[in-house]
Amino acid sequence: MLDINNLHVKLEDEDRTIVNGLTLNVKPGEVHAIMGPNGSGKSTLSYVLAGRAGYEVTDGSVTFKGEDLLEMSPDQRAAKGVFLAFQYPIEIPGVVTMQFLKVALNAQRKARGEKELSTPDFMRLVKDRAAKLNVSQDMLKRPVNVGFSGGEKKRAEILQMAVLEPSLCILDETDSGLDIDALRVVADGVNALRSPDRAMIVITHYQRLLDYIVPDHVHVLSKGRIVKSGDKSLALELEKQGYAEFDKSAA
Amino acid sequence: MSIALARTAAEEALDFSLPHRRMEEWRWTDLRQMIDKPYPPRQMVTAEQGEVERLLKSSPFAAIAGARMVFVNGHYDSKHSKLVNSAVEPQAEITEPVQQMNAAFATDGARLVLSGSIDTPVELVFIATDAAPRTIATHNVIEVAGGASATIIETHIGKGSYLANSVTEIRIGEGARLDRVKADLESHDATHLAHAHVTLSANVTYREFTLSTGAKLNRQNGTYAFKGEHTDAKISGAYLLAGKQHADSRLVVDHQVPNCASRELFKCVMDDHARSIFQGKVIVRPHAQKTDGKQSSHALLLSETAEFDAKPELEIFADDVACGHGATAGDLNEDHLFYLESRGITPAEAKALLIAAFVGEAFETIDHDGIREALTDYAARWLTEHRRKG
Repeated sequence: MLDINNLHVKLEDEDRTIVNGLTLNVKPGEVHAIMGPNGSGKSTLSYVLAGRAGYEVTDGSVTFKGEDLLEMSPDQRAAKGVFLAFQYPIEIPGVVTMQFLKVALNAQRKARGEKELSTPDFMRLVKDRAAKLNVSQDMLKRPVNVGFSGGEKKRAEILQMAVLEPSLCILDETDSGLDIDALRVVADGVNALRSPDRAMIVITHYQRLLDYIVPDHVHVLSKGRIVKSGDKSLALELEKQGYAEFDKSAA
Repeated sequence: MSIALARTAAEEALDFSLPHRRMEEWRWTDLRQMIDKPYPPRQMVTAEQGEVERLLKSSPFAAIAGARMVFVNGHYDSKHSKLVNSAVEPQAEITEPVQQMNAAFATDGARLVLSGSIDTPVELVFIATDAAPRTIATHNVIEVAGGASATIIETHIGKGSYLANSVTEIRIGEGARLDRVKADLESHDATHLAHAHVTLSANVTYREFTLSTGAKLNRQNGTYAFKGEHTDAKISGAYLLAGKQHADSRLVVDHQVPNCASRELFKCVMDDHARSIFQGKVIVRPHAQKTDGKQSSHALLLSETAEFDAKPELEIFADDVACGHGATAGDLNEDHLFYLESRGITPAEAKALLIAAFVGEAFETIDHDGIREALTDYAARWLTEHRRKG
């Protein structure tokens, strides 16, 4: 589904390479965890996959469902099935969450040549998904993320994911700022979306999240490169040893 | 010190001087330079009925207004009006150039006394039909009786090249409520000059919203005199401007008595070479203690050549007041755009959503659901027409 090959990324305005020869292959149905210390390039990788401006790919390639992902605009990537759950979801005053979800879903459907969803069908879909994530009707009436607590923002991200039904979910530090109860709600929401057609990349600093979202593969990212891959036991090993060991091996 | 300047031909014809940039209040809108030459004369024009009806239908409020009063080319149109004039006379002193020009040219205007609870909005429609360039001036006097409540809409619609001059005097009696909505939907070749003179008694609730989007040149003055205590006024507006449109609003909020509140909120969207100006003056007289007066103006510049100027002025002579002002100007937020696009929304649609959200804050101040929705739809259509690609 996703083939990242020898990817090199630098900041557009600065001569600083952040991703430095990263290779990763993700198949449908798989959950990959990417772990690494601060500054290892985790968030940059998520932004480059989603198409944020400000980064320059200097080498390597990213192929998604057989097409060159890097050639696509952010909205085209989303319509193709890429979804990034932001570490810090953006507040957008004046745009009501419900309206935003509807515009986004129908824009994607239109781009894929599908029929737009009618308002009653859309309302039913959102109500069903929102209930499962403890997202209140009141939150849906409020502007996107404005005044939401940290936990509400993360739940709102997963709700968007549940409504848009992407084929590749990238979760960027979805656990940050969550207490254990909120973490469980979010993880349940993510697990409910696991399916044989859908792949996930779970980016996290801590092993804790992986107790709830159990990955098939774990990769350690250091200085912009994957320095070790393994199964879920690798995450436990990291928890014990810390990242210092791997930083040395990447040097 | 007065500056002696040779009078232009237009001024000779008018018999007074046009305001120019060396006058502080007119520094951004030099009518000497900007008004069409020769100064558009007064001219009787007979309108074609089909055109009048087409223009009437194009009012966004056509389905909302209960009673209508229609003025075609500056004259009362009995055929399309349901309301007739009451006996009420102008009182406002003529102190200002727009008023002077109006006095020289006015042919007619609405004279209304509103009493009791009027549930459906009253619409005053000012229509200019396509004809030779000319001045069309109307002078309205609206008196809201004590305890009354009403909503009044002033719609300015037209075709072709003309100068519309509209003066509206409003006097609101004790305990009354007036919601006033004014829409400049003039022709793109028109100049719109307006002056509103609002007098507020005690315990009044006043709401005003102005949409400025039509004319190539728009200058609107508003003076709001607080004459009775415990009165509350909210004055807001939205500008939707493109091309080389120029819109300048100057408001003077004059707190003459204690315990009143005023709020001003203006949201300006400008594309291409459009320019808008917000001049807001708040005066708090020496004994007008406990005045709560705030104003803010915000501009969204969609092109690098658009320009916004804000001049807030506070003249406060009382010592126990809460007054403030704020002005901002900027582009659309890149993080907001990326977030929307990352959910599959096209760049053009994402921009339109954010612009609508920006002006929406001003529309939110309109209490009447039908009017708010009609104007929101009008703004959405404007955005679709002016939406920039990519």
